[in-house]
Amino acid sequence: MAISQFNLNDKQRAERKLLITVAEWKETEGTTTSTVREILGTRTEDSSIEYNADIETTTDIRGINYTDVNRTQPQQDFDPYLILGGSKLGAFLNDKRRRNAVSELNDFTVYVITAFVGETGAYEAECHTGCTITYTAIGGDSNVNMPISVYLSNDYNGSGAPKTGTVDKLSDDFVFTPDQAS
Amino acid sequence: MDKNQAIIDYLIQCPYIQNSPLYFNLVNARNDDVQIITSSEDVTTRTPYIDGSIPKKYTFTLITFKSITDMAVVKDSQHVNENVDDLADVQSLLDWIHEQEDAHNYPDFGDDCYIDDIQTTTDEPQFDGINDELTPPLAMYSISIIVNYIDTHKVLWKEN
Repeated sequence: MAISQFNLNDKQRAERKLLITVAEWKETEGTTTSTVREILGTRTEDSSIEYNADIETTTDIRGINYTDVNRTQPQQDFDPYLILGGSKLGAFLNDKRRRNAVSELNDFTVYVITAFVGETGAYEAECHTGCTITYTAIGGDSNVNMPISVYLSNDYNGSGAPKTGTVDKLSDDFVFTPDQAS
Repeated sequence: MDKNQAIIDYLIQCPYIQNSPLYFNLVNARNDDVQIITSSEDVTTRTPYIDGSIPKKYTFTLITFKSITDMAVVKDSQHVNENVDDLADVQSLLDWIHEQEDAHNYPDFGDDCYIDDIQTTTDEPQFDGINDELTPPLAMYSISIIVNYIDTHKVLWKEN
């Protein structure tokens, strides 16, 4: 598959808002289960996906280095993650926190949307299933902050790699279309 | 949404201002007049959030004038000194802002903005001096006010 080029003008920088992380999970109320999504990073000034690559370098007797990347363990922290009225994920995580239901924190689907690649109606994205989102603290000074960490699975339904594809729009009700195998 | 008009519409709910002539960016020293004097924000210190929203401040000062007396304060609890009484009157304007903050009653900056809070920079009106060349001589008081809000009009993501 051809590598997609950036949808930016020559030398134009990509604004941070074009890299979007969206959490998706299921909520059950009574007998009804619904899928809920929320963009992460509201009122967060700085957040990056850290890949935490496990790198092993060996040097042969000629002095040449050979470097292997054994694995990556991508993680994204959001601090502050303020308790905000209307925050669906905040309420969901707070419910887990007060019940110490840590075993219920590992069934998120996380989309990483790169809106600087693709075009309107088809922005490139990747989908990770079975991700974990944890709260790391709660408190703060003037306002209640509950920083969270997102651990990406690098997996899509047991395939061993995230699923690449596109999303049709930049809103909660986007449709993710997986790439076709070439 | 014109934020200046939103501030005017907001302030005219205040009983003190309802009973006083209100002016916008005009220093006109007359007894009981209230002036809204706008300020500008230094945008170089702004840090946008990663979703594209931007924290902003709308800053303004309310200036009001009160006639003064040169009568000494009488050490009699039944007697009210005009200068002391006037300061309490101006204090009611500042207190009204605090009451609105407690009630989360904010100016309407439109759908693309939401207000975090409205604050006064002091708990008492600032006494800025006396102009004794006027008849009657007037004392000038000022209250600086900051509206902290989030401007979301550059956010790409739409929530349903």
